[in-house]
Amino acid sequence: MPEFATLTTEGSVATLTFNRPDAHNALSIALLADAHTCMDEIESLSQTDNAPTVLVITGAGRSFCAGMDLKEVIIEDDPTLPGQLLESLARLTHRIRLLPMVVVGRVNGAAIGGGCGMVTVCDLAVTHDDAKLGFPEVDLGLCPAVVTPWLVRKIGPGRARQVLLSGGLMSGARAHELGIVTGVVDSRDELDGAVQKLTETLATGGREALGATKKLLNTLDGSNELDILLEAARLSASVLATEDAQNRLKARRK
Amino acid sequence: MIRTETIEREGRLIAAVLLDRPEKRNALTPGMLEALCEALEEAPKTHDAVVLGGEGKLFCAGFDLSLCKDDPSGGVMRELLTGLSRACAIMRRTEKPVVIAAHGAAIAGGCALLGGGDVVVSDASAKLGYPVTKIGVSPAVSAPFLSYNVGLGVARELLLLPELITGETAHTRGLVHELVQAREEVRERALSIAAGLAGKPPHAYAATKGLLNRLEGTDDGEAFRLALEASLALTGGEEEQRMLAALDL
Repeated sequence: MPEFATLTTEGSVATLTFNRPDAHNALSIALLADAHTCMDEIESLSQTDNAPTVLVITGAGRSFCAGMDLKEVIIEDDPTLPGQLLESLARLTHRIRLLPMVVVGRVNGAAIGGGCGMVTVCDLAVTHDDAKLGFPEVDLGLCPAVVTPWLVRKIGPGRARQVLLSGGLMSGARAHELGIVTGVVDSRDELDGAVQKLTETLATGGREALGATKKLLNTLDGSNELDILLEAARLSASVLATEDAQNRLKARRK
Repeated sequence: MIRTETIEREGRLIAAVLLDRPEKRNALTPGMLEALCEALEEAPKTHDAVVLGGEGKLFCAGFDLSLCKDDPSGGVMRELLTGLSRACAIMRRTEKPVVIAAHGAAIAGGCALLGGGDVVVSDASAKLGYPVTKIGVSPAVSAPFLSYNVGLGVARELLLLPELITGETAHTRGLVHELVQAREEVRERALSIAAGLAGKPPHAYAATKGLLNRLEGTDDGEAFRLALEASLALTGGEEEQRMLAALDL
């Protein structure tokens, strides 16, 4: 049984939960491996008559996902670990995007770096105004390479340039203005109601019609291409391995 | 059911190409789409600009589903999807300005027509959107036109979420360019915009529109072909037939 990511289904709605609340659901190699196991499960479920129409992605606890687990990318014994983590993340985003059902992000709290990238992979996403979202990679001496293609597809290259090069974090309301999320509510209390309304509306659509539409959108926006993501993962790993980035990461740990 | 009126405005000849089936909320039939394509091909030859509008209370409620309901082969739906795609491509490719006057409502196939315009005018409380997955139809056919206009992220939201949005929301999303308060003002505003565009040096307008078409791939047609095929692939299928049959028309 996967532990750090879980998959549940209820009627036509499946839910993937990042489940490492003590670490704000940071993407460790183990969490990503569990998320891939959940993908195996939902991919086979999608071939059956009981295929869900919607997949909700969310985080256990207060945060949605704090991004790449920075403790795991400090190079100590095994210099290949950051590359492995980033490749696994790249492949996970690709698998999520290619699912035939509509994917909805329930952004319950902080969605940072790779966590915010996960939001942009979703077809639709809802958050609340108190959630903090953003891509602070450049502030940390890192390159948000894996998320870049997804953000460009989501909000266009002009705005993506501004967001990724400026770093920092933003409110849920600002993320909505930019188009990073498609819906925002005032407070966390209202989030479940909004997500439920959204999934109910989506479930009125025909599963095949939604799937065919999503597939065409993926073709038009280049989502099917895996190579660009793997190349991005290698770029991100190479920036991570620089002395500057490593020194910054070690200083943060202290 | 398609009528072209010539209107002189600011010394320019504007062709108002009108969906004229108000008793059926301008619901599109294969014959109407064929006539529309012909009118859209012809009008730019003799006029300085085109305004596409609808008679009656609203612009267009989409395909005439009563025809599809009685057609288990899916042949009518295929004709409608093909005609729609062609109408949008013709508007895109003409060198003359095309302004859409989408008053009251532009739903499903009616909303898809917006993709052909250079400028789209609507009113604040109009209803717009593509809720066709509810009847087992994929709005993929609209995806290229829509994504050029509003960006890929917004297009994904508008096509996957089967609900209608107001003219005001459509304006913030970029689906509508010019917003007026009352539906009665839409056509007038569209005509005045068309006259303004028709007053630009025609070679400059045509060159700029042509370049934009080339950048977005409108002149190539590969994306349109893929998109149309994606929608056509579902016609006459089990899901579409089941959901259409459940419709209370």
